[in-house]
Amino acid sequence: MATKGSNSIHRSSSRPLLDLSKAEIQGNVEEKYPTILLPNQSDDLSHLALDIGGSLIKLVYFSRHEGQSTNDKRMKILKDKLGILNGNRRSYPILGGRLHFVKFETNKINECLEFIYSKKLHCGGWESHHSDSTNDQNAVIKATGGGAYKFADLFKERLGISLDKEDEMDCLVAGANFLLKAIRHEAYTHMEGQKEFIQIDPNDLFPYLLVNIGSGVSMIKVDGDGKFERVSGTNVGGGTYWGLGRLLTNCSSFDELLELSQKGDNRTTDMLVGDIYGTDYPKIGLSASTIASSFGKATLENKELEEYRPEDISLSLLRMISYNIGQISYLNALRFGLKRIFFGGFFIRGHAYTMDAISFAVHFWSKGTAQAMFLRHEGFLGALGAFMSYEKHGLDDLMVHQFVERFPMGAPYTGGKIHGPPLRNLNEKISWMEKFLQKGTEITAPVPMTPPGTTGLGGFEVPLSKGSTLRSDASALNVGVLHLIPTLEVFPLLVDPKMYEPNTVDLSDHSELEYWLTILSEHLPDLVDKAVASEGGTDDSKRRGDAFARAFSAHLARLMEEPAAYGKLGLANLLEMREECLREFQFVDAYRSIKQRENEASLAVLHDLLMELDSLDEETRLLTLIEGVLAANIFDWGSRACVDLYHKGTIIEIYRMSRNKMQRPWRVDDFDAFKERMLGSGDKKPLPHRRALLFVDNSGADIVLGMLPLARELLRRGTEVVLVGNSLPALNDVTAMELPDIVAEAAKHCDILRRAAESGGLLVDAMTNTLDGSKEKLPSVPLMVVENGCGSPCIDFRQVSSELAAAAKDADLIILEGMGRSLHTNLYAQFKCDALKLAMVKNQRLAEKLVQGNIYDCVCKYEPAY
Amino acid sequence: MDPRRAETGKNSDQIQSGHVYHLALDIGGSLAKLVYFTKNDEHIVGSEKKKSPMKASGISNSSRNSPVLNGRLNFKKFETSKINDCLEFINSMKLHLGGCQQPESPGSQTITIKATGGGAYKYADLFKEKFRISLDKEDEMDCLVAGANFLLETIHQEAFTYMGNQKQFVWIDKNDLYPYLLVNIGSGVGMIKVEGDGKFERVSGTSIGGGTFWGLGKLLTKCKSFDELLDLSYRGNNRAVDMLVGDIYGGMDYSKIGLSSTTIASSFGRAISENKERDDYKPEDIARSLLRMISNNIGQISYLTALRFGLKRIFFGGFFIRRHPFTMDTLSVAVNFWSKGEAKAMFLQHEGFLGAVGAFMSSDKHGLKELLANQKVERPPSKLSFSLDQTQVPQQDGELNGDESIECSVYGA
Repeated sequence: MATKGSNSIHRSSSRPLLDLSKAEIQGNVEEKYPTILLPNQSDDLSHLALDIGGSLIKLVYFSRHEGQSTNDKRMKILKDKLGILNGNRRSYPILGGRLHFVKFETNKINECLEFIYSKKLHCGGWESHHSDSTNDQNAVIKATGGGAYKFADLFKERLGISLDKEDEMDCLVAGANFLLKAIRHEAYTHMEGQKEFIQIDPNDLFPYLLVNIGSGVSMIKVDGDGKFERVSGTNVGGGTYWGLGRLLTNCSSFDELLELSQKGDNRTTDMLVGDIYGTDYPKIGLSASTIASSFGKATLENKELEEYRPEDISLSLLRMISYNIGQISYLNALRFGLKRIFFGGFFIRGHAYTMDAISFAVHFWSKGTAQAMFLRHEGFLGALGAFMSYEKHGLDDLMVHQFVERFPMGAPYTGGKIHGPPLRNLNEKISWMEKFLQKGTEITAPVPMTPPGTTGLGGFEVPLSKGSTLRSDASALNVGVLHLIPTLEVFPLLVDPKMYEPNTVDLSDHSELEYWLTILSEHLPDLVDKAVASEGGTDDSKRRGDAFARAFSAHLARLMEEPAAYGKLGLANLLEMREECLREFQFVDAYRSIKQRENEASLAVLHDLLMELDSLDEETRLLTLIEGVLAANIFDWGSRACVDLYHKGTIIEIYRMSRNKMQRPWRVDDFDAFKERMLGSGDKKPLPHRRALLFVDNSGADIVLGMLPLARELLRRGTEVVLVGNSLPALNDVTAMELPDIVAEAAKHCDILRRAAESGGLLVDAMTNTLDGSKEKLPSVPLMVVENGCGSPCIDFRQVSSELAAAAKDADLIILEGMGRSLHTNLYAQFKCDALKLAMVKNQRLAEKLVQGNIYDCVCKYEPAY
Repeated sequence: MDPRRAETGKNSDQIQSGHVYHLALDIGGSLAKLVYFTKNDEHIVGSEKKKSPMKASGISNSSRNSPVLNGRLNFKKFETSKINDCLEFINSMKLHLGGCQQPESPGSQTITIKATGGGAYKYADLFKEKFRISLDKEDEMDCLVAGANFLLETIHQEAFTYMGNQKQFVWIDKNDLYPYLLVNIGSGVGMIKVEGDGKFERVSGTSIGGGTFWGLGKLLTKCKSFDELLDLSYRGNNRAVDMLVGDIYGGMDYSKIGLSSTTIASSFGRAISENKERDDYKPEDIARSLLRMISNNIGQISYLTALRFGLKRIFFGGFFIRRHPFTMDTLSVAVNFWSKGEAKAMFLQHEGFLGAVGAFMSSDKHGLKELLANQKVERPPSKLSFSLDQTQVPQQDGELNGDESIECSVYGA
């Protein structure tokens, strides 16, 4: 076990995802992206795997990430000049990519074949590289499930591919192991209608019991990768439910039968303890409502089958079978000393009541000592396992922090419904959405939240649910696209990455979720306007703007319906989802023009501000600088209150007004402690920090009048400064790509900034000559810029860019600025170095909740290194 | 001894002789079971096959002063729906008066007899009204365990295994009996860990039991009785409705996980893949599939429970089994399968009468147990014989299915 873990950690840093031996660059080396020839990377087809079951076909396929070429120049300078990032670190050739999960109904196998064909998945999915690969007769694709045999000929005939059959159980276990180790919060419990996502320490995963409920039930003891044994099972499974259900009711589908159960009352068919004893049987701890005998009541009455409600029969069957599976599973887990029981298979299919019933049984028989757990990607275990059975996919070595799950429209599940049209481009996607996304998914006002536990109960009591409102698959969780980003790393300065939780606001609180969904919903029209305007208001941009609004509303509506639909959800995830959704509809930077305008306006007054600052003594200056950061943080297009404010004055007016109001004490005020660390007290002059990481927030006044002057002060004191910006735009946040230009502009007004920027390689274009000249002057500490690896207004320190991680290694001070990075997330994060969190609270509710204050209160939280 | 008896004062002699004919009842949902004791020299209704009385050598080493009475412990059952027949029988035997012909028992006199089972509540008024019999209710599980303990400790050929139509009696050293698992299959299934006399705990159970078999069977077939359904199952073939391992893996064994192609992968799993209506299936096949599903499941959970508590033996009882050979066979196969041959299902010869015997033993003023327990030397200490009013012939496999009696001796109280 231990060797396994450490092994994978070791390999992750120099992972040969592809067989790179004898690799050579083909064609002109001067080309920007020369094709790399990999003669030993034989298997292009390791990009699709199938699990063909009796009712569903599951596809897992890998698509290469379109190379992200943002800001190459800056990267190059950073590497070349400072060498901090290049080290012995590998560059990552074509490793990043996306893992897609798609389902089709088996009886519509043609749709599946078409999908594969149109996406060219049968020839590796690398369209550009294989123009004539359809000729390839030897294409082999991994497949599992009974249909891998049944449909082998069809695949050969139609797509010219051979299915390489993998053992079902091998795949199941490999898939489960991968998910549990690589996906954060993959597992969840389900009690009384409530899902709770669980993070399992990958080093403490084994041994566990995997219960796969298909037609029959297999119980597999899993001891490690490839180490497992089928230890038990039962013939009373999903097939029994559906088979008996069909014979007893007139249902024509499994889903129909499941749906019926939600309206059932099993007391009409089951014999309860109360039916026998008239009361509880406390001597043996059974309550009167305990089921003594499933269908036992039918023995007491002279009723025909037709006289029983099919709903009641369905519920009685469902309970009988779920309880039985739960009981036998628990007994087996106990027998083999297994800590956890995971349930999967088509019988569960995200059906809330089934999960409740199984959970109840495990809870009941274990007297609360064991919990049933379920997997978000349940259903894809086999296909994923088949994918894993390729030898050179490299996924084994990837780690949790290298995966990001996103939920684009047209992902296999939308609102829990199965579909799989091949969406080749945005136009098709928008057309598809117009066709399939029901009108009315928009939420414009708070939708009354139905209390959780619609199917709840778990136990022996009758369902509260009034079936018609809850589809049987309503709680089926959405499965997103898994982005594999090998360059992501855990921020090295976190005190305890395992315990770290970025989100301050937990959206599992329903009123909280409702509030934020409403906020986002209300903000939507304004955002769409900005986005459309950013692209000149063309017809095309309007169409995309509509589509974006629809898509994002659909996400919000889905979350209203099933808060757990996208897995564990924090406010940061929600905000990022919005940005991703914008990008999905090709709005690369909705606030582009606003940002530019504000940057220009702010840069125009920077000189005056710096003069003013330089006239102050050190102590006053430090206070004024912090005041300035807090005051400038008012410029935030994510805040409704602030957007309203902008109509009332110019930037500089608002900035000055804001700064004048910054009287201490602030709502959270650790300024004195910070000042003492910076300036010392009495005669003691503390050593300046070696390197500070400044996590910047908004464009305009925020960066120019707030953070840059603070950076300048640090530089002046001999501290290296690294400005950390977003990799991708989010609202009006300043990005890493924009920072060098802003710095260059600012440098025109300030010698300190200029020399530091030169030293950090930021001004290479502007002043090519100064490189020689700078030798004569006193070398300045560098001012650098790195990207943080995300495209969200928040930051999750478990997943940051490798360059940020590298820059962090020498840092001994970090400054988090703005609501997104220091309030919504990371307010409680602990770091190994000194940390200053600065923000103005621009939301009344958040102010009350987090700091027991009011809107526009300020937070200045200083925490010395832990 | 029994304080209530002592209070009856002058009549004690007659009543004492009445005690010998002690009667206990177990009135279940479908059957009412009687256990009663008759002295050998007493007239037994229609008795022909009298066995030679057993010598009561236990007398000398007994601590009791009372005389020992040789006789028989009789077992009889009635359908609960015909509870009046049962009452008639009791009346004809004058059992409630202790078997003595005492025509003029004053109307004021109420007699108390031990009873268990749900019917002990339900029919209490009827007994009181008709014959002034007051039913003294004993807890069902207490009786069950007491009955099983008594039978297993004292009756030589009580426990047996049943595999492939082979019935084999198992001799159990009564010093090595505990702890064992008693699985009582009634409408539901109770699983009781028994560690000694009066020392037991219901440790598990399942709601999939006899009631499930009969309830689902009734809904799926047109059977009118439990027995009819059982008979049907005997003739059916579960392959028609069950999905077998071979159905999934194309007739091949899934040897990797040790499943043969005839293993049931999914009970009723075949009913999903075909477009057939309920009426297209033979009721025999459905009954068979149901029986195998339920027996298999009970066998599995029982084995796992026995394993969990480290119990050496599993005894199955309750009306579901009713000595139906096929039921016993499937249970045995299940236990054998899940335990990989390490455990065996065992059954009791007097299965069905556990509760009644337990009720009979519940105030052991007869010292039956002590007496019989001391008679080890005279093995077999008891014999089975058919009482003469037996109404059913033994089934073709020679199973005892009707009424019977055990010769034995008891102390006069």
